[in-house]
Amino acid sequence: MPDFFARLRALPHLGIGISTEYGARRGDGALDPRALRRDHPALARFLEVGVEVVQGLDEDARAWAAEGAPTTYHFLDVNLDEPEDFDAEWLAAVREVIEVLRPAWVCGDAGMWHFGPRDRGHMLLLPPVLVPETVPTMAAGIAALRQATGHEVLPENPPGAAFVGPMHVLELFTAVAEAADTGVLLDCAHLAMFQRARGLPFDAGFDAFAWDRVVELHVAGGTEHRVDGLVFVEDDHGASVLPDTWAIFEAALERASNLRAVVVECERNPIPAVLPLMQRVASAWAVELA
Amino acid sequence: MSLVRDGLDPRRVQHALVCMLFDPAWAAHVRGQGLVPELSERERALLRALDPRALATDPHRRARALHVLVEELPVTAAVLGVAACEAFFSAPEFRAGVFGRAAMTASFAAWLGDRAHGVGRLESAMAAVRRAKPPADRGRLGCPPGLRGVVVPANTLAFYLRVREELGPDPVRSLAQREASSRSSPPRRGTQFLLVERRPDGSLDLGSGSEPLVRLLCFAERPRARTELELEAVRLGAEPADASALIDELLADGLLGPS
Repeated sequence: MPDFFARLRALPHLGIGISTEYGARRGDGALDPRALRRDHPALARFLEVGVEVVQGLDEDARAWAAEGAPTTYHFLDVNLDEPEDFDAEWLAAVREVIEVLRPAWVCGDAGMWHFGPRDRGHMLLLPPVLVPETVPTMAAGIAALRQATGHEVLPENPPGAAFVGPMHVLELFTAVAEAADTGVLLDCAHLAMFQRARGLPFDAGFDAFAWDRVVELHVAGGTEHRVDGLVFVEDDHGASVLPDTWAIFEAALERASNLRAVVVECERNPIPAVLPLMQRVASAWAVELA
Repeated sequence: MSLVRDGLDPRRVQHALVCMLFDPAWAAHVRGQGLVPELSERERALLRALDPRALATDPHRRARALHVLVEELPVTAAVLGVAACEAFFSAPEFRAGVFGRAAMTASFAAWLGDRAHGVGRLESAMAAVRRAKPPADRGRLGCPPGLRGVVVPANTLAFYLRVREELGPDPVRSLAQREASSRSSPPRRGTQFLLVERRPDGSLDLGSGSEPLVRLLCFAERPRARTELELEAVRLGAEPADASALIDELLADGLLGPS
């Protein structure tokens, strides 16, 4: 197999996209992906579809794919470092979804999506343990999923309030990406959560990060909460993006030389509420809106 | 002191973190000086470094998981009381399930034991049958994945059906509205032999079976050699000369299968 940088040439430039997951539009006023694409095509060039195979695809995702519009597949239900998670039943369901979406690539948070087997009540999302011992198993999982799906698999830095282990999350993801010979999805909001949790400046760890492997960026709103004096950020995908998320995003644009896509994660908000942040993303990335 | 002496397995650390998130008392125990046999010292040191407040950012985590359990084992919850069920998350069975990658309903069943008498065993069997996967054929025989035998006190099935109907389509809401003192009291005397079977559409069929069949199925929940099953059949009353033919018949009827 050619190395990642050779394979990268085949990955399309998707531009700015939006995210969705099963039932995201059930809430009042939630974003209609196809309406956004119709009215503001430069801000919705592709749809990142969050998939938990037990739920499958909702009407919005199916309608988008039926129009032949570009997608990416964001998994919500696999622990990449657990070989048991790659069971034949799950892989068959993933391939079925891929048949429908025909995604440009597969991506998703490289963390613990569930404890034990996939089952009701087991779902959560914890970041990986930030130690060198995480690297080989995580990398093996990425390579296995890439082989099983025939698509690039981009690990994403997960959100969290409790990060275990001494490594910086960017250091871990660089090591994982190199060991798996893959690209990376950098979620700017999740990184802001990490930097805050560790009391670090927004650009801590930038010097050692594999920026040339960053294929996709995420920008999303978050809300500050407090528990017993501890301030933490809830990754609520709201319309209010934290200043440090913007700072990370803008710095990432300067460094990510192989960037192909930016997702604005705002699926449960009305279009008028998220247009300003989408326009800011477009402006920062020098995307023509006309 | 720890039984896992050294090494660092990130999965073990993550499993421990899950238990800490669900159980603040165990989280405090990990931070303290007592024995934590599940973790090496290196693993424990990583978790000790966590700000305990960072474990409390989701106040509804336990309630959501409890909701799932109560939905699936509603009559058990009616017998024990919902609040009593919450003690499961602080139990060794919960932690063993997380570390052993078991379904939460299976760990809950292990914790239940005889706490909710026959209905606990019946609803645990129903949960197990819903999740049953095709067995790996290891050259042994056993209970087919979609079938379980359960031995319970007499009248348990009628009690289960009555209370389940009383709880209606939203048992969690019904139980939340009940007075704490109005717990249902299940049968405790006599014996009833039940079969729990998953239909092709995924729904469950509950019915009674003969004592020898149900007891043989209970015996066959663990994979067994054919000779073991024949000996058990004889112990349960079959003629020695007929035991082999009986096992053949059960295999032909799908009441036993490869396991």
